Amino acid sequence: MKSYVLGEFAAEQVLLDAVRGLRGRGHARLDLHTPVPVHGAEEALGLRRSTVPIVALVAGVTGALSGYLLQWWTVGVDFPINLGNRPPHSPPAFIPVTFELGVLFSAVGIFAALLFGYFAFPRVHHPVFEVEAFRSASVDGLWLSAQVEAAEADAVAAELRRMGARQVSIVPEEAAP
Amino acid sequence: MSTTAETLEPADPLEPLPVLLGRPGDRELTDSLLRPVLSPKGRGWFLLVALGAGLAGLFVVAIGVTFFVGVGTWGNNIPVAWAFGITDFVWWIGIGHAGTLISAILLLFQQRWRTSINRFAEAMTLFAVMMAGLYPILHLGRPWMAWWLFPYPSTLSIWPNFKSALPWDVFAISTYFTVSFLFWYLGLLPDLATLRDRAASRARRVVYGILSFGWRGSARHWQHYRIGYLILAGLATPLVLSVHTIVSFDFAISQLPGWHTTIFPPYFVAGAIFSGFAMVLTLMIPARKLLGFEQVVTARHLDNMAKVTLATGLMVAYGYVMEHFFAWYSHNTYEAFAFWNRWTGPYRGWWYLQLFCNVVVPQLLWFPRLRRNPAVLFVAAILINVGMWLERFMIVVVSLTRDFLPSSWKMYGPTWVDWSLLIGSIGTFGMLFLLFLRFLPPIPVFEVKELRRELEGEAHGRHEVAGS
Repeated sequence: MKSYVLGEFAAEQVLLDAVRGLRGRGHARLDLHTPVPVHGAEEALGLRRSTVPIVALVAGVTGALSGYLLQWWTVGVDFPINLGNRPPHSPPAFIPVTFELGVLFSAVGIFAALLFGYFAFPRVHHPVFEVEAFRSASVDGLWLSAQVEAAEADAVAAELRRMGARQVSIVPEEAAP
Repeated sequence: MSTTAETLEPADPLEPLPVLLGRPGDRELTDSLLRPVLSPKGRGWFLLVALGAGLAGLFVVAIGVTFFVGVGTWGNNIPVAWAFGITDFVWWIGIGHAGTLISAILLLFQQRWRTSINRFAEAMTLFAVMMAGLYPILHLGRPWMAWWLFPYPSTLSIWPNFKSALPWDVFAISTYFTVSFLFWYLGLLPDLATLRDRAASRARRVVYGILSFGWRGSARHWQHYRIGYLILAGLATPLVLSVHTIVSFDFAISQLPGWHTTIFPPYFVAGAIFSGFAMVLTLMIPARKLLGFEQVVTARHLDNMAKVTLATGLMVAYGYVMEHFFAWYSHNTYEAFAFWNRWTGPYRGWWYLQLFCNVVVPQLLWFPRLRRNPAVLFVAAILINVGMWLERFMIVVVSLTRDFLPSSWKMYGPTWVDWSLLIGSIGTFGMLFLLFLRFLPPIPVFEVKELRRELEGEAHGRHEVAGS
């Protein structure tokens, strides 16, 4: 069984030192919860570069290609109409819709990938929300969360206190519905 | 108090005005920025919403008449087949350009003064695009067949004509609305979580909790969030330029004198930003006063927005000059007549008013004292809004009233339905905006907190340099 250990810190530097300390002790499932992004959090947590740009590129290229193919097939192949004697397949006229669909697919792709892929939302119930004081994480609180074996939880909590946490709580995972 | 000192002119004229007055703590900042949402709503707000709702009712009546009786209730005729509907459409879609400009382009240029006004401007964009999107549909004649605009495999086995600018419009506007909405919502996500955590009542906690999808400020999320937001801004930047370009193609690729001009795309984009900034100023000047946001929306913001308004106003004026130059230089009799008709024709009064509003009034903004005076700026912004509506009226309607053959010339007069569609849309827009101001955080809370950290870091760095 797993438990979440939550600690609140007073300063960003202390928070980052604490996360580095826990990572040095072999804890991997760590996270920070802060009202604004903290500089240096990514390297302290050892996160790899975000892959969002790849999603954006693939979705955008897919959109642009499908936009072009749609126009080429509908007015160039399936039902060509001679308007002003323009060729049925007339690339310059297809630029605007190709561009718009590229942007549309890319934007929807980024949004959907972020919310439902990277963030795994919607998740309105999460063990960290069990702690009432955690409400400050979106206001001014700097929080650290560690997912550890329940047996280790007390030791990690003590460790966080030693590293300067102002308050520490332990949430057993099954407490969250 | 240090805050009062900071509102005055800085001691060093090269030092810009502050973007944030004082250095409030995170909690203090959160509470002051969320006050409009969390505090009880006053009677004045309800009265304004009721006024907006009344005009929205008029809008619904006018739309109902258009649906049940038909577009014959409008003043449109032949040759003036496009009139108020298209004028209103171009006006609203133009207004809708400032939001994305402020939030995306200024983000990419790392302009700090965008931070406290971007949410506000984005919401304005969304509501303006909503209003704009209605007119082409109402204009269809059979608006209940609006889905015919989209390419779907129908039993008619025919497709939209992708070589015409009108289907491009469908894609441009629906994409613009969708992308603006996603960009706005993504920016809103951390603030919705803040609202969830600061709300006192259970109902609000539940609603804002669901809207925030369970945002927990995780560093693992922030990492992807920032990259995703930046790429969306990068996508929105060419998008915003493309939308009004495509709208201008509706006119520019036709043969009509007064429409058939290659300068239309850049001139329309400049006009869009011009009118959009005027609308942001129109809404922001009263809102910052009434909601007490002078601390985060400072004289610096007004000053910079006025400068952008002036710059785009000059581009619009250049567009007017160039249109006349082309008419003369092309030696095209019809083109030359179209412009002569603006100065001397039956609608010349509207033309002079347009020139006054769009060319003369912005020149006031050369003076720093006037730029920083909210009252002057507010009046100028309203006049620019009027002027930009008149510009679209001149382009759309007046060009059509006198085309090639004098025997087909006809005057245009709007009916009560036309006026109701215009006034009703303004009321609906205002109502939506008032609701936004009190139910969603109008100033991005987390971004202002970030801004404060940056400014503190900088001040710290400067002291170190001075001390060394």
